[in-house]
Amino acid sequence: MLEIRNLYATVEGREILNGINLIIRPGETHAIMGPNGSGKSTLANVIAGRDGYVVTDGEIRFDGKNLLEMDPETRACEGLFLAFQYPVEIPGVANLYFLKAAVNAVRKYRGETSVDAMDFWDLVHERMELVKMDESMLKRSVNEGFSGGEKKRNEVFQMAVLQPRFAVMDETDSGLDIDALKVVADGVNALRSPERGFLVITHYQRLLDYIVPDHVHVLVNGRIARSGGKELAVELEREGYALYNEEPGRARRAV
Amino acid sequence: MTAIAPLLSDPYHQSFAAFMAERREPEFISRLRQAAFARFETLGWPTRRQEAWRFTDLSDLQALTLQRPSTALIDAAALPSLEIPTHRLVFVNGRLAPGLSQVRELPERAMIAGFSQALPDHSALIEPVLDSLPGLQSHPFAALNTAFWEDGALIYLPRNAVIEEPIHLVFYATGGDMAVYPRLFLMLEQEAQATVVVECRGQGSYCNAPLAELQLSHGATLHYHQVQEESPQAFHLSGIRVRQSRASQTQLHLFSSGGQLARTDLEVLLDGEQAECLVNGLTLGQENQTGDYHLRIEHAQPHGTSEQVFKSVLEGKSRSVFDGMIHVRKHAQKTDARQTNRNLLLSRHAQAHANPRLEILADDVKCGHGSSTGFLDPDAEFYLRARGIPLAQARALLVHAFAKDSLTRIALTPLRERLDRVLATRLALDSLEGN
Ligand SMILES: Nc1ncnc2c1ncn2[C@@H]1O[C@H](COP(=O)(O)OP(=O)(O)OP(=O)(O)O)[C@@H](O)[C@H]1O
Ligand SMILES: [Mg+2]
Repeated sequence: MLEIRNLYATVEGREILNGINLIIRPGETHAIMGPNGSGKSTLANVIAGRDGYVVTDGEIRFDGKNLLEMDPETRACEGLFLAFQYPVEIPGVANLYFLKAAVNAVRKYRGETSVDAMDFWDLVHERMELVKMDESMLKRSVNEGFSGGEKKRNEVFQMAVLQPRFAVMDETDSGLDIDALKVVADGVNALRSPERGFLVITHYQRLLDYIVPDHVHVLVNGRIARSGGKELAVELEREGYALYNEEPGRARRAV
Repeated sequence: MTAIAPLLSDPYHQSFAAFMAERREPEFISRLRQAAFARFETLGWPTRRQEAWRFTDLSDLQALTLQRPSTALIDAAALPSLEIPTHRLVFVNGRLAPGLSQVRELPERAMIAGFSQALPDHSALIEPVLDSLPGLQSHPFAALNTAFWEDGALIYLPRNAVIEEPIHLVFYATGGDMAVYPRLFLMLEQEAQATVVVECRGQGSYCNAPLAELQLSHGATLHYHQVQEESPQAFHLSGIRVRQSRASQTQLHLFSSGGQLARTDLEVLLDGEQAECLVNGLTLGQENQTGDYHLRIEHAQPHGTSEQVFKSVLEGKSRSVFDGMIHVRKHAQKTDARQTNRNLLLSRHAQAHANPRLEILADDVKCGHGSSTGFLDPDAEFYLRARGIPLAQARALLVHAFAKDSLTRIALTPLRERLDRVLATRLALDSLEGN
């Protein structure tokens, strides 16, 4: 469902992604691990369509459609979701209002009418229980004053309400205590289905005990240096990235 | 009709002489007019070389040949409504329109009336207090108002009188090249309470220069709202003078979205201990509009509290000016005075000028001010879009988030909701319900 071919991208003129190839089929969950600064979030942001990330070569197709031609809201309406590594605080916009606006935007895009107030409320309640989020969070401004863990939980909550077909989760486990980690993993697992795909970016193999991936990729210097099964995560946890890192001056556009 | 050509004081002189010749009114009012006109002549037409007028470009106004307003009839449908029972006085071109006005039952001795109507019977009440408040002494338009006002609203509440229904004053102007000088005098005796909404609207290219005098005795409470939605060609130059006695409370909500140039000069004198004053301003600017506020809060007595919160949302080439002074006299210990000015620029060509000023002569006070001007947060914008919300709606949501706490402070629900709709319409949002 998501096909990334030969993707090169720069940020502020710096080459960050150097030829990424990745194919994720419906129902699959892929994990990306890799050292700090290797380009994991850059890849996530390029997929989501954030300004400032310039694709210089390659393509991304989402269900066969050219993703890079779509603006961020269209990508979201097509069923793409990014759980942010650093969720943004938006003072003055209530969480619930924001979610409803998002749900209705997607419905409008699909040619559906606005969501029925009662149906929406039921959905929100059910999903809130799934991620064990407190109801008081709904009235608060989006992420404002949320703890690190609460912000991550809110990302999963939004995902659970929006029910995207493909989700990129950028370090959603970072900063979570063990219980919260399980909650987040349960949230993701509840959504897993033969039609949905996930790309999970993480530094910790622990998360992958809960969200068991089909494939694990190691991203180093903007390229996928190695791919494997879930056992690769265990190996990385043990060995670190030393193996992958000592290639200074390596030709960035090596074929 | 007599032309009032600005700059040349001679035609002004003739115009004033002609105006005075027509007036039939008590001597004390004539004297006030003479004194005010003399003050105007001394002050002269403001120029941008004067600090207080540096950002107020009056050249387009000067280009108009301002006439005395003629009488006009307007359609009741053109008038703003609060959709709840109110005491309503409508002034068209500065004169009371009795057919459009209605005052409901009032507590004993309370009065809400047109000035001209009330004057014959109540000059004993009016004489000692009219134009007696300090402040705006060097404001040429306040002087012009006192020289040329024809009618206005008189609001008097005796001790302990509480009026639940809002007092709705509409200053409507219609016509071209004319200057209108409506007047408001309000006096709340001890523990009296009132809510006042002053709406400034009109059609055509006129200059509306209302002057309000608000006087509060001990423990009185006033919620005052000025809603400026003048015609796009209009000039709005309003003055508000306030004097508060001990433990009185005012909330002054100033909303501005109309006019080509809108300026309000406000002076509040906290003249008794524990007086409290909130000034809450929201300016929406677009195209070439200028929204201009000049405030002076004078803490004259101890334990006073004042808060100024001013926001502007500026599109196109619009500009806002916030010039806010907190003056704490030596004797006014334990003053708590705060001021914030936040401006949101929606275009690269919009401009916000902030000039916060503190003059603190007492040593045991809490005073603070802050000012910020910026564009929409691109990260927040992306976050909303990444959830499927289209760009225009995402921006509108963020603007509303910025502006809404100004509206939230307005306790008068129908007005708050109406202004929220004005904002939503400006932002082309369907509905903001629930946020
Ligand atoms: N907006 C930006 N402006 C400047 N540099 C950026 C920007 N975004 C990313 N970079 C740079 O691109 C490189 C890759 O960053 P990226 O955030 O993709 O790394 P990451 O793999 O997600 O790291 P981490 O594990 O720390 O989250 C870094 O050197 C980073 O400084
Ligand atoms: Mg990252």
